[in-house]
Amino acid sequence: MEGQTTLTRRSKVTGLQDAARRARDALRERPDLCLGGLFKQGRPVALVRGLLAVGAKGLHIYSSPGAGYDVDLMIAAGAVEQVFIPGVTLENRLCPNFRSAVEAGQVTAHALDALTVVGGLMASAHGVPFQPIDALRGSDVLKHNPLIREIDCPFSGRRIHAVGPIRPRVTFLHAQEADRWGNLRHLSTMVYADQLMARASDMVIASVDRIVPDEVILDDPSRVTVPSHYVDVVVEVPYGAHPTASFPNYAMDEDHIDAYADLGDAARASDRAGLDAYIARHVTGPKDQKDYIKTVGGAEYLAQLNAEARKG
Amino acid sequence: MSAAISPLEQMVVVLARDLADGELGAAGAAALVPMAAIALARELHAPNLTVGGEMFFNPEPGRLYPSMLDDRALGRCEAAETFIELFGHSHHGLDFFFHSGLQHDAYGNINLHHVGGTLHAPKVRGPGAANLSYCHTSTRFYICPTLHTTRNFVEKVDFVTIPGHLSGPEAKRVAGLTNEGPRFVVTPRAVLDFDPATLRMRLKSVHAGHTAAEVQRHTGFDLGITQNVPQTPLPTEEELTALRERIDKTGTLRA
Repeated sequence: MEGQTTLTRRSKVTGLQDAARRARDALRERPDLCLGGLFKQGRPVALVRGLLAVGAKGLHIYSSPGAGYDVDLMIAAGAVEQVFIPGVTLENRLCPNFRSAVEAGQVTAHALDALTVVGGLMASAHGVPFQPIDALRGSDVLKHNPLIREIDCPFSGRRIHAVGPIRPRVTFLHAQEADRWGNLRHLSTMVYADQLMARASDMVIASVDRIVPDEVILDDPSRVTVPSHYVDVVVEVPYGAHPTASFPNYAMDEDHIDAYADLGDAARASDRAGLDAYIARHVTGPKDQKDYIKTVGGAEYLAQLNAEARKG
Repeated sequence: MSAAISPLEQMVVVLARDLADGELGAAGAAALVPMAAIALARELHAPNLTVGGEMFFNPEPGRLYPSMLDDRALGRCEAAETFIELFGHSHHGLDFFFHSGLQHDAYGNINLHHVGGTLHAPKVRGPGAANLSYCHTSTRFYICPTLHTTRNFVEKVDFVTIPGHLSGPEAKRVAGLTNEGPRFVVTPRAVLDFDPATLRMRLKSVHAGHTAAEVQRHTGFDLGITQNVPQTPLPTEEELTALRERIDKTGTLRA
């Protein structure tokens, strides 16, 4: 009929740079950025690089309770003001730029614990004013943790803790697959806190190794880990978690992370040239993900990570 | 078994012997030695021991990995969970858990936050820690650092990340730490436990090739050694065979 437009369902698929700009603009309103995955697994690193490339400053970073490479890189790039992550480590070694920046007073690293972070995400996801916690005792972290309060339990009368909602302005997730509407499928063994973060956040941007046809989702709905309702933007990024892992597709690139950490250690000992060159080569330099893949060794090199992931 | 027993193998065996059949436990962050100990216990005397509480149940790794938060290290596992389960596990507790840190003190308190300075103006910043609950909601935990020097064994930690026995029984009571806390400490040099009356650390046994005087020299507080300290029982043939042929085929613990 004339004058009427027929509405059709909107695809949430976009490109990496567009997604990064949308994140940057949202984070200018409120700088709370949350990252999915855990340590060297399932981290949305391409989105992080994209955000750094379009220029982000003064970020407050949240994550599942453990993070390393990506947070350290964001600090090295000067984009972070506060860190709300209980454990920041590369696991086999410490995070050099995180340590230097905290020691120099450039970044505030809050003392937190896993229950506070996960509880805060739970409160936000569930839409309740706080999540009670009754398992924190004796640690000096409790004297410094800015997100918890002591309350009287209305049932037992016991002094317990409460954490208010953690509401990220933007959450970046990485999953192995999604359809164009943003239904995510984590094919990895662990799904970390990604499902909580998706429900806790204002805006969710997901990178996936590949976008699959609608039928793949419809044929197996119980395999969907995050329904599209909670996802705003989807980007197909091959090796989008590199140098972290995206099981079962590819393993973490430990050599790459170690080489990065060596540059960070050098910067910590006052020679920043290598670290700056790293950022220019891998973060601000590449035009797109194809370009990035070339800078980290090319398709043949990355194919080894695919093989490593299949070994088990 | 001709090859010499490595310090890490000795640590694994000490820990494995203390884990009982039917228990539920998890390995913690620095997982190499704890996972090997759990696997050895399951292999030898605790086939019904369950590994859980860290987003997965009963992983079957093909070899030892330094971190369990690695899909390769899970190999196959019986069930996968998410962080949504963290609340239940942390509040209900496990039977056992493992910790190690930048500093360990005379009462088994562990520091992972900073050495020198203050939290927000640290001389050296550590990694922090994720789970602060298993140390007291679990029945007990073990301290198993792979170094033992005057730098990481100090009289008093600069920051209590993981509470051990705080400053003794009264402080534990006031803080509401009602479980056992750290049962013992095993390092590449020795086994140390806690005086039941004061909860202060003392030397229990020294590993083969080490002496009490040497352990004291590498410890930053007085271990109160007054008598002959026994040697840590060596791994048995059966333990070493299981460890080397079925759990650590790639020799990670001997590297």
